[in-house]
Amino acid sequence: MARDEAPKEKHVPVQIEFCGVTKMYGAVAAVRDVSLTVSRGEFLTILGPSGSGKTTALMLLAGFVAPSSGDILIDGKSVAAVPSYRRDQGIVFQSYALFPHLSVRRNLEFPLEMRGVAAADRAGRVTRFLDRVHLTDFGDRLPWQLSGGQQQRVALARALIADPPVFLLDEPLGALDRHLREQMQDEIRSLHKEFGKTTICVTHDQEEALTLSDRIIVMRSGRIEQIGTPEGLYDRPATAFVANFLGEANIFEDPAFKIEADATQPSGTLAMIRPERIRLAVATGPGRADTDQRQSVIGTVTKMIYAGPLRKYHVSIGKSVLIVRQHVASGQEIFDRGDEVRLDWLRSDVRFVSA
Amino acid sequence: MKTLQKLGRRPIVLTAPAFVLLIAVLGIPMVQLLLTSLNAPAFSLSNYQGFFEQTSNVRVLFQTVKISVVTTAICLIIGYPTAYLIVSASKHVRIALIVLVLIPWLTSGLVRTYAWVVILGDHGLINNLLLNLGLISSPVPLIYNRLAVYIGMVHIMLPMMILPLLSVMQGIDTSLLAAARSMGAGPFLAFWRVFLPLSLPGIRSGSLLVFVVCLGFYVTPQALGGLGDAMLSTFIASQVASSFNLAPTAAAAFILLGIALVVLSIFGLDVSGSQGRAARATRKSLPSPLPSFAALTRFLKDLAAPYRAKRWTAQLYSARGDSRLSSIVGAVFVTLVMAYLLFPGLIVVMMSFSGGPALEFPPSSLSLKWYRAFLGDPSWTGAFWNSIQIAVTVAILSTILGTLAAYGFNRTSRRVRSVLTMAILAPITFPAIVVGIATYFGLLKLGLLGTRSGLVLAHSTGAITSVVVIVLATLANFDQRLERAAQSMRAAPIQVFMRVTLPLILPGIIGGAVFAFIGSFDEVIITSLVSGFDMQTLPLKMLENIRQEIDPTIAAVGSLLTLMPLLWLMILYATWWWSKSRLQQLSAKPPA
Ligand SMILES: Nc1ncnc2c1ncn2[C@@H]1O[C@H](COP(=O)(O)OP(=O)(O)O)[C@@H](O)[C@H]1O
Ligand SMILES: [Mg+2]
Repeated sequence: MARDEAPKEKHVPVQIEFCGVTKMYGAVAAVRDVSLTVSRGEFLTILGPSGSGKTTALMLLAGFVAPSSGDILIDGKSVAAVPSYRRDQGIVFQSYALFPHLSVRRNLEFPLEMRGVAAADRAGRVTRFLDRVHLTDFGDRLPWQLSGGQQQRVALARALIADPPVFLLDEPLGALDRHLREQMQDEIRSLHKEFGKTTICVTHDQEEALTLSDRIIVMRSGRIEQIGTPEGLYDRPATAFVANFLGEANIFEDPAFKIEADATQPSGTLAMIRPERIRLAVATGPGRADTDQRQSVIGTVTKMIYAGPLRKYHVSIGKSVLIVRQHVASGQEIFDRGDEVRLDWLRSDVRFVSA
Repeated sequence: MKTLQKLGRRPIVLTAPAFVLLIAVLGIPMVQLLLTSLNAPAFSLSNYQGFFEQTSNVRVLFQTVKISVVTTAICLIIGYPTAYLIVSASKHVRIALIVLVLIPWLTSGLVRTYAWVVILGDHGLINNLLLNLGLISSPVPLIYNRLAVYIGMVHIMLPMMILPLLSVMQGIDTSLLAAARSMGAGPFLAFWRVFLPLSLPGIRSGSLLVFVVCLGFYVTPQALGGLGDAMLSTFIASQVASSFNLAPTAAAAFILLGIALVVLSIFGLDVSGSQGRAARATRKSLPSPLPSFAALTRFLKDLAAPYRAKRWTAQLYSARGDSRLSSIVGAVFVTLVMAYLLFPGLIVVMMSFSGGPALEFPPSSLSLKWYRAFLGDPSWTGAFWNSIQIAVTVAILSTILGTLAAYGFNRTSRRVRSVLTMAILAPITFPAIVVGIATYFGLLKLGLLGTRSGLVLAHSTGAITSVVVIVLATLANFDQRLERAAQSMRAAPIQVFMRVTLPLILPGIIGGAVFAFIGSFDEVIITSLVSGFDMQTLPLKMLENIRQEIDPTIAAVGSLLTLMPLLWLMILYATWWWSKSRLQQLSAKPPA
């Protein structure tokens, strides 16, 4: 099931390794038999719905939770006996976990103090990091005197300031509004470029995962559903769950509908096509030039949703309802409820996913 | 209807009835007493000079402060690790332990003092045991000395220390500790640099509470201490009824109050400004001297929560495995503390069933004879009914006045609110003996000394405060947008209150009523000053018998009073659970 695609760069040493890690809470497995490797400098995202075990996976790595079975290796060595405070990881917690009784500056100093950095060196370093996250004048404030985005930046700076080799983020942008989220995504991306840390980021936001990561791990009920690059996962999802979780997917479950595809359909799989791969045209209009590579059907529009730059249609064909997304380009026909339309798509765009 | 609507627009008016009562019974007499102590209208400090010129007074004052400080320190030393171990225990253990702390907190201090008399007395449990074992030939003096005072005082005050600590500690975001660890802080450093500073508000409020209560609480030192262990409050109490000149007594009371206020303002106000708000752990905006209520509410929530999402950090897994030794030491420590808190009450309950001619432990035979004696003695049953009637009246009166006042507070501007809150909190912030002597003076002026109405008024001052504190805390969690929503649906203010606000804050009101009842039913310090000769209440009758140490019926009464907290806890839990399940039902219904 879990197809581990080779890391992009060859010969990069593996830094973190999960070997069949399971974490049980009573009879419930929060994480079940997870194996994966992370290379030095890689940006890996763990993606999954709420309750799928993402936080637990991260906390296992951070050493706050002990695995029930399996082993975790960092730089080739088991860390089973290494307590959390010796693991040397920078962590951004889900709710930031800024110390409310310490000023921003003292918060940033904390990890340096714990590593025994001399006071003189600390001050300069803190100032540099405050500048770096655009909080130069906020050093003396207490955390609650900052906005959400500012708190987030303090948390990022605090996690990176002691130069840990591994950088862990638990739903770092979950509490921010959409605009700030995009800003912070840029910030995280540029911090990753600048410091080149091995980064593992947990999120349930597929857009965040797609835009930030070198590789994505999709988790479901404590298991790894699929591992791959963003393009790989989006274009070639292995399961219906992954297809639906990353973007939207039309999955043909009606056996009466005969789907044509270039490849032969493996047994036990369903055909899938992304909504933006489908073209819409007037039902009575002329066929396209490349019809030999396309499948074409007639359907009825049952719903039209306006969404700014694009329109989303629900088109019923027999018992199935297909979702179609169309960018609104000039000259593009616009359909309405009840219109008869011709849908067509490239046979090569059809994928097979296991249920 | 019109007037009600006007009232709705000027919510401050709602606080008036409560304030009128407080000012009449407590405020005005307080001022008059102060003037008396200053020899108004001549104004001189002679009474205060007189107080300090008498070395015995100074000695007693010093002793009072010393006993209070030592008791507070011991409570903190025992209470902090206890609270820490309780919050870090697993959910079921934590709930059980909190119940075990709440039970003594809700049990009358008088009964618990009595239990120590029974244990430490010359013919008490320990001496009898040692005599029977032949280890000693005559009773060793365990009671009527300083050690007995500390044992009893710490026993009484410990829950008051643990509960605020618990309340604050449970609010500390455990991911902060995880964060500290991820930055390289070992277990001790993480505790020292993060947990301890964040728990300071709990240390502060617990210590202040214990200290101030110690200053004014004389029953335990009087019952367990010797002549040399007298507290200033004992001295004041004995002076009130016996001397005709109130001025020196008033001066002594104000000296005690002065100490309390100085300590409160140094430790109470200073830190709460910056630190208190910084540590959002204590989210309550109310600078309540009784955060125990908060602990109780939190406990009730905890009890019903199926699983707390952030709990994993509580274990703060350390890869070497928690040293087995430290967890054994912790378990033993908590067990000892719980035994200390609960054992005395348990002994009273068991002894009350003894069948012998005198109290004995363990009972050689079982019988209900002391309960029959209690029910057959009109002086006991009369006192019991008196107490019940007074407590019910107090509960009704103070619940109404207190709820109105809390609602009024909640709707006024923040600044007005904080000033008024300070004022209304006075009855439970001041040493009990000071409140007692002021009430005595007030009822004297009103001609209500020694009457049932007088006692109701006297008890209502503290009871109103409890109701206000609890209802305010409930209102703080109440979403005012719901009222706006109701208004937008054309509900008039009074309808909004009756249909939306009241049902949602009802649990708080019931909780307030229960505490008002308990407070009145157990009250002994103020009561002993203002009851005169005719009004007998259960605690007064018990106090008499503790001193005389003769009537074993008191064990039966004590046992009844010890079992009562279980009832209270059940009522509070039932109320809370009922409101929660009702809310869940409401929210489960699909929006119409
Ligand atoms: N300390 C715990 N005790 C019991 N169950 C837990 C605990 N921590 C997590 N779980 C359970 O493990 C599962 C995964 O949780 P989590 O890792 O927090 O998921 P996510 O971060 O993906 O939302 C959930 O079903 C959760 O209820
Ligand atoms: Mg999570």
